[in-house]
Amino acid sequence: METLRTKDKTVLRSLGLGGFFGGGAEGMVDVKDGKIVRIRPMRYGWKYKKEDVRQWKMERDGKSIEPTWRSLPGPFSLAYKKRVYSANRIQFPLQRIDWDPNGERNPQNRGKSKYKRISWEEASDIIAAEIKRVHQTYGVHGILMQGDGHGECKSINTPHGHSGNLLDHMGGFTLQVRNPDSWEGWYWGAKHVWGHGVQGNMWPATNTVNDCTEHTEMMLFWGCDPETTPWGFTGQFASRLCYFWSDIGMHQIYICPDLNYGAAIHADKWIPVLPNTDAALQLAIVYVWITEGLYDKAYVRTHVVGMEEFSAYVLGEEDGVPKTPAWASKKCGIPEWTIKALAREFASRTTSIAHYFGGGFIRGPFSHEHARLEVILLAMQGLGGPGVHQLQLTYFGMPRKRGLAGGIWNPDIEERLSIPVMSSITAWQKQALPKCLVHKAIESDEPITFRGTGAIEALAQDQFNEYTYPIPKEEGGSQIHMIWTDTPCRITCWNGGNETELALCNPKIECIVAQHPWLENDCLYSDIILPANTHMEVDDIVTNVRQGTPQPNIMIQDKAIEPIGESKSDFEIVVEVAKKVGLEKEMTQDLTIAELQKRIWQHMGGEKLVSWEQLTEKKYWMYNTAEDWKSDPPGLRNFYNDPEKFPLGTPTGKLEFYSEALAVRFPDDKERPPVPKWIEKSTMHDERLSSNRAKVYPLLLMSNHGRWRVHSQCDDITWTREVGTCKVTGPDGYKYEPLWMHTSVASKRGIRSGDIVKIFNERGIVLAGAYVTERLMPGVVYIDHGARADAIKVGEIDRGGAINTISPEGIISENCVGQATSGYLVQVERLSGAEMDQWRRDFPEWFERKYDPAAGLRFDAWVVGGDQK
Amino acid sequence: MKVFAIDLSVCNGCYCCQIACKDEHVANDWSPYAKPQPDTGQFWIGITEKVRGQVPKVKVSYIPHLCQHCDDAPCIAQCEVGAIVKRDDGIVLIEPDKCTGCKLCADTCPHDAIFFNENLNIAQKCTGCSHLRDSEPDEWPVPRCVDQCPTDALRFGEEEEFADFIQEAELLNPGAGTKGRVYYKHLPKKFVAGTVYDPVEKEVVIGASCTLKDTQSAQTYNVQTDNFGDFWFRGLADDRNFTLTLEKDGKSLVIDDISTDKDLSLGDISFKQ
Repeated sequence: METLRTKDKTVLRSLGLGGFFGGGAEGMVDVKDGKIVRIRPMRYGWKYKKEDVRQWKMERDGKSIEPTWRSLPGPFSLAYKKRVYSANRIQFPLQRIDWDPNGERNPQNRGKSKYKRISWEEASDIIAAEIKRVHQTYGVHGILMQGDGHGECKSINTPHGHSGNLLDHMGGFTLQVRNPDSWEGWYWGAKHVWGHGVQGNMWPATNTVNDCTEHTEMMLFWGCDPETTPWGFTGQFASRLCYFWSDIGMHQIYICPDLNYGAAIHADKWIPVLPNTDAALQLAIVYVWITEGLYDKAYVRTHVVGMEEFSAYVLGEEDGVPKTPAWASKKCGIPEWTIKALAREFASRTTSIAHYFGGGFIRGPFSHEHARLEVILLAMQGLGGPGVHQLQLTYFGMPRKRGLAGGIWNPDIEERLSIPVMSSITAWQKQALPKCLVHKAIESDEPITFRGTGAIEALAQDQFNEYTYPIPKEEGGSQIHMIWTDTPCRITCWNGGNETELALCNPKIECIVAQHPWLENDCLYSDIILPANTHMEVDDIVTNVRQGTPQPNIMIQDKAIEPIGESKSDFEIVVEVAKKVGLEKEMTQDLTIAELQKRIWQHMGGEKLVSWEQLTEKKYWMYNTAEDWKSDPPGLRNFYNDPEKFPLGTPTGKLEFYSEALAVRFPDDKERPPVPKWIEKSTMHDERLSSNRAKVYPLLLMSNHGRWRVHSQCDDITWTREVGTCKVTGPDGYKYEPLWMHTSVASKRGIRSGDIVKIFNERGIVLAGAYVTERLMPGVVYIDHGARADAIKVGEIDRGGAINTISPEGIISENCVGQATSGYLVQVERLSGAEMDQWRRDFPEWFERKYDPAAGLRFDAWVVGGDQK
Repeated sequence: MKVFAIDLSVCNGCYCCQIACKDEHVANDWSPYAKPQPDTGQFWIGITEKVRGQVPKVKVSYIPHLCQHCDDAPCIAQCEVGAIVKRDDGIVLIEPDKCTGCKLCADTCPHDAIFFNENLNIAQKCTGCSHLRDSEPDEWPVPRCVDQCPTDALRFGEEEEFADFIQEAELLNPGAGTKGRVYYKHLPKKFVAGTVYDPVEKEVVIGASCTLKDTQSAQTYNVQTDNFGDFWFRGLADDRNFTLTLEKDGKSLVIDDISTDKDLSLGDISFKQ
């Protein structure tokens, strides 16, 4: 048949959604007639021969695995065209119709009122005037800058934090400090056992992938889903690795309440455990080891401090309760015979524990306790020895590349470009407010205090510092009265979503500015909304080197298409405002994008790697595997071999089963005591099945990172929304977020698959679509976090499935300012038609809004004349 | 002649084949090979997933299904306007310009692989991305779904290259007798599994002999419980009746009435020693 013109040009993209400077899950974007025609995996052989790029190979028993010669992006990466052309894209600047900066501001109508179109000129004038007014009235700290988290991978037009750069030029601002939202427990707990590590994770982690491949006999996927969390960062190499491990006979045991997507296909055994009860299981394993002598006593003698205190607790000498398998079984729901079998298998086989960050396991109340216990388990079996690691599955521990210092992080980047990203990882401003406390800070008239900023890069020592918001008035402290966000997902991604919705309506907050590509979540509580564009619409450069990309590379990202509507990049948006406050030059330094691209290459020492001419001609360049990568000591091997010469970063240099530092600084802390413990409840959290609350809310809710989203990203892709585990179409035609429940839980409530159900506790109601399954243990319900909030009643009822709206009010524990958004009590019922009808009568405006089941919420539903582009 | 070769033992259920197909065909007009696919509702390649077993012995199977590109294609035979053709490379194509929208082919197809586009009034289905393979054969030796498959579960090529694969493979729907060109390995078979424990010692029973006997054919299968007390019988035929006998140290337990009308977890089985 005839041949067709299938494209006009091909440009390259990082299709990962981790954000910051670099990424993975690379792709090739074909453009035809000015439109994206297809998005496909990157063929590394596009401009290079495989023999010109040194590869690696891992081997065991005569079988081997090598990196693929193409990238392995996940479904939302391949479907990203739908994001770019989403019906929910913000087309032009918007102003809330009843917000008048010179008159009535109507903060009580945030989340309800519609928007009107304004020009860029008007929008930037208003914002500049508001900044000046707030500065004059309250001082610079009167503005909260929310500019952190994940997003598209870009270096120059990075999606977050540019406004922080501008406000810093104007004297500073209040910084929202992003917490370690996917590894809370290790940050607040494990650091006190093995030192700081990489933000609490095991470090060094060099070469752990190879060492596990060569030596590990049993891998415990403990709350880990290798078929979900890696997708947003590097794609699906972890999937191939797990299949290879099955091939070479590595036993893969999944310990999690749900048969997650990895367990569904890779598990040799699934051990369902009740959400957030892992500490009980871990303690019982230790009990078996101590009573049966099944641990590495010599290692513990030379590498550990505090075994005596810990042992006394486990055996019940301290509190009269031996932590036996029978004791644990009642807490964690695993038969005691299985606990004993697991303990003995763990002790007799070379065992590692795998994660790729996490959902439920590491984000619940008291998560620091099981995080610490995890390190202790590994320590008692010779942590750092061959095949004994905590493995952040391919995120850390892939073979080292020549020219990439450290192996995992981005190359150095110049200050001008790194400042925006600082707001995601450090507490670099004088007045800082942990992200988990923003809603509390707004609603509180009293200063609030916290221990540690929770900044990702903050050292363990910072957890011993006490901070106050606001800082003293004489130091320029002020409550916040204006918010500028490029991270409008606080409601659905963080704790206390319903409280957040109400806090955003507090009259104390006089102006909220949001910049974002899509009209969703916190955007709808803003007064001015600016249209940001996607990475397809700008020129940029990225380093695809982070988080375990199999073929690290540097990539020029040429613009694929012209900006949608009147959108501008997040950087360009801030420049528009900078012009109005006379700081344009400070933002741009008069450099063009082309000049910045070159400077990034120069700053990373690019001339030693690839000439600028070659890079710009071929558009990418691939790092070679270091010739001597196999000689890098795996994980904590040096410490394992010689703990005196290679001490850890703890005060004693050893693995601290008992933390003297915690004992001294927090002598009365019952939630994070010096020795990790089982915490039944505390003044902050009462979320166990043993609680009196469980009589009313008898189910434990767990929440993972989304399979079909990266946190809140990608909830509008019509193609993923057709998958049964992505959305459930209710009888009313609305696509609900699936709530998994076991067959027995559903039948007891008369619920069938596809029914609309309401999930509720004292903190509100979330609607979902029933997904009745054998993939979840009884007594538990499971739902991904990050669905787009769709409040029927602000602060109370959500139809979109934004489960974090009813997550616990408290932080992880009294002294740990992280989020606790999984493992809490709820009740679930089939939603009656009468109740829905009542809501239709009470809140008609919500049901009248234009809604498209295929894509969900729409831009034009919120904009006066929004359909007239 | 081309074939699709699908190895379900490494299909991880990512749905990327389904997504890549939509990326290629939705809102893109590849006439005369294909008109645009509607944004939702059509799955020229689509995944069906099946949750098998009961807590805690559960597996999920994913099966990509698509036009089988039959050599004896009923859709071609019934099309009264000759709009459906068999290409030289074995791919069956509906030519959108010739299709009159009678819908008969969608009803005739025994594989449920033909969709109807109400807006365009034409039948549509997998084209094997022939527009790409014809236009840029060096760039596109395989269709989009195959190009992206992260685990190589989905492959495409000359029949001769896959001779060994085909030897061991099955058709998804052999009863249709249409001589499909899509071959599957490791289609799910039934399992019976459980955990054996001693209710007095509160210990799993390791090394118990487990014998599953087909009550009609008397065929037996034997496995031993592992270090978790687990046993798995895999690869069982559908709708057979079995008796399970557990034995260790002279003690035994018989469980009757086991049927493979579904995958079966017998749960934790109390076995007094």
